[in-house]
Amino acid sequence: ATPEAPKKEDKTVELFRHLYKPRVTSIAGAGKDVHPAVLALGLQMSSYTICGSCARLVATLQAFKKVIESYATPPGNTLTRHLTSHVLSPQIEYLAACRPLSISMGNAIRWLKLEISKVDIDVPDAEAKKGLCDAIDVFIRERVTFADQVIASSAVEKIKDGDVILTYAKSSVIQRTLMTAHQEGRKFRVIVVDSRPLHEGKHLAAALVGIGIEVKYCLINGLSHNIQDATKVLLGAHAMMSNGRLFSRIGTALVAMEANEADKPVLVLCETIKFTERVALDSIVHNEIAPADELVIPGGPLEKWGDVKKLQLCNLMYDVTPAEYIQMIVTESGNVPPTSVPVLHRLGNESQG
Amino acid sequence: MPSVQAGYAPNLGVFLKALKTQQLEASIEHLISLLKRRQIRNSRPCAIATAHLLLRVVARFKWTDIGKLLQRIQEVGQRLVEAQPKEMVVGNIVRRVLGMIRDEAKEDRSEDMSDTASITQIDSPQRETSDPAPLRTIGVSTATASPLRFGASNAPGSTDTDSDDGSARTPQGGHRPPLMTSHTSYAVLNGLPVQQSMFNLLSATPSPLSTPPQQIDSPQAGSGINAASVAQRVAASSKDLKAEVISGIEEIIDELDQVDDQMAGYAQEHIHSNEVILTHSSSTSVQKFLLKAAEKRKFTVIVAESYPNDHQATHAAVTGSVAPDLGSSEDTSLEMFLKPLTAAGITVVLTTDAAIFAIMSRVNKVILATHAVIANGGLIAAAGARIIAKAAKVHKIPVIVVSGVYKLSPEYPFEFESLIEYGDPGRIVKYHDGNLVDNLEIDNPLYDYVPPDLVDLYITNLGAHAPSYLYRIVADHYKPEDINFHKPELQF
Repeated sequence: ATPEAPKKEDKTVELFRHLYKPRVTSIAGAGKDVHPAVLALGLQMSSYTICGSCARLVATLQAFKKVIESYATPPGNTLTRHLTSHVLSPQIEYLAACRPLSISMGNAIRWLKLEISKVDIDVPDAEAKKGLCDAIDVFIRERVTFADQVIASSAVEKIKDGDVILTYAKSSVIQRTLMTAHQEGRKFRVIVVDSRPLHEGKHLAAALVGIGIEVKYCLINGLSHNIQDATKVLLGAHAMMSNGRLFSRIGTALVAMEANEADKPVLVLCETIKFTERVALDSIVHNEIAPADELVIPGGPLEKWGDVKKLQLCNLMYDVTPAEYIQMIVTESGNVPPTSVPVLHRLGNESQG
Repeated sequence: MPSVQAGYAPNLGVFLKALKTQQLEASIEHLISLLKRRQIRNSRPCAIATAHLLLRVVARFKWTDIGKLLQRIQEVGQRLVEAQPKEMVVGNIVRRVLGMIRDEAKEDRSEDMSDTASITQIDSPQRETSDPAPLRTIGVSTATASPLRFGASNAPGSTDTDSDDGSARTPQGGHRPPLMTSHTSYAVLNGLPVQQSMFNLLSATPSPLSTPPQQIDSPQAGSGINAASVAQRVAASSKDLKAEVISGIEEIIDELDQVDDQMAGYAQEHIHSNEVILTHSSSTSVQKFLLKAAEKRKFTVIVAESYPNDHQATHAAVTGSVAPDLGSSEDTSLEMFLKPLTAAGITVVLTTDAAIFAIMSRVNKVILATHAVIANGGLIAAAGARIIAKAAKVHKIPVIVVSGVYKLSPEYPFEFESLIEYGDPGRIVKYHDGNLVDNLEIDNPLYDYVPPDLVDLYITNLGAHAPSYLYRIVADHYKPEDINFHKPELQF
């Protein structure tokens, strides 16, 4: 008998077992139905080239536009009945396999499906496709581009001369806010707090330093030293839960906690597309587990961690910040307290029709 | 080539080896430079090095008197503390040694004092022999106040004390001395110095009162013998004292060796089975503590890696390998290689510091290691410890701090920032990232101050204490006069 290869140890952290999903990191094995634009996007997502919640949303809709453009309704079918189930679904599945969909992506996909279902059966293919693509463009413009502008201009109002803004990791709308404030001539400093393994804050710091803003950069271990210097804390969001909790990059809750203890106002900058009717009490039921190997530092002692029995690496992506740490949520529909999240969410959905 | 000169990587092991051959002054300079260059760092190596150096200082010291020795140690200690004021254990060890010397000296002096006390006692009856009445009252009171010598005072010569003695002896059967026989003896007892009567209690020398006639016969002879014996004793005791100070320092060194095992002894009282324990960074004390608990219990340990300063050591500790850059400096002959927790059957989950809040809701206990503990019950620990303690507080999770008593410092600075050391910013942003390095202010604190209200329990080698009790342990270990030994301007 051939010697049996030693059984590979299960390295899943028991607490998060329900969250583990195999992640696709190459196009090998991708379904033939998957559009090339989506294939590329999936890889960019799994390698964090496209990382933020909004960036992924926009990139997904752009890719779906290409999918719709290259779509032709097969004879004997209608676009309304065929497109969603036979064409879009495999794309979505593939994207979800590359990296779990963000909540904003889920919202957008739900909207797109609704739009497709509303297309009249009698409308010719070309016209229907054009109508859908235009609708996607409008959606991106309204819900993301303009929303960011409105949020940034409204958040800039909150930055006064002499302020020290502390922010965590990287959020595109915060970057935009800070840059706008600087261009408007406000004098302020920024403290960027960051963490392993993505070091997203470094990109933000580099961008801010590039236009001449005074930036201090520290990792989360220096948080409690720097929170005292801050006057305001700006946080980005991955999603806002209906119970007013903030679902964001892992570590955000710590920043909000420290800010709360030091009596610094915490402002969350969040587009309404990120609002969800879901609720969360802890960071464990719903979360995303990234591959553990991302924590390994090349050349470090962790390289052979797989051989160490009973050693597990846990690489969570998000955490949930309690609502009481958040003073204000800045959205394109106005500045609201965390308790108003479900209201805004309902209003947004109703206006969508 | 450094590799050819094996063992010249400057670290604690090399220092201890060199200590045996080097001149004393060279050794002091050697340690100062090692401390300054951070080649000996972290509490335990610093404590061990300091204790060994002080041992040499005492051994080499040309003995004249205690004051000079104290001065000498203060002076050496001051230089060491100035070399690295943030390694608070250096000061602690110096204070421990100073306190120990003071104790020994006091013991010695009290022996001398009791000698002189007996002399005065001998003298006093001599002076008072001219008047028999006062002699009698003193004789009565002293005899009743020192009950153990009851039998002796009951000797044939002391018939003059019969009135009080008789009433006391009859109910006790003559063997048990009365506790308090009369009001007169009570009053006079209060008038006598306690030390004197204690000495009389224990001394085997014949009572001066039992032999007043002889004393009267040869008053000069008696005191002369006593004076000679005192001089002899002082000469002998200074040699004893030195040996005792040395053995005292050796005891401190032994304590440093055993402290982790002593603390580990309490492990099973604090950890139940199936627990989820969160710890931070890597620490021999905590690892030994958990290993000891793992002998009897199965539990899960979540380790926060403490990036960017201690993550390599943490990774090495969880995988059981020796970190490349720490292997040489941390490893001493005193510190043996610890097996990783996973080898003891514990599930270890390594995670980033940022994930602490997310998983805190499922943690049962937080166990922190320290760099130093200060008298108010707060502690200095690896950066990031404060947010862990705070997150635990928010989730109502108990925070346990494992720390040897040697890390407990009597210093109590008002400005806690002064205790924080800042590390190499290159660990956060690499130097090849030129644009960022030039324009970015980078902050890399090595330590955090954790206030006492975030800590629930301290486990030291003496047992488990509330943070509010630590000041008492400080008082037990350090003499108040040594607390500011390194600040001459604060000494009176």
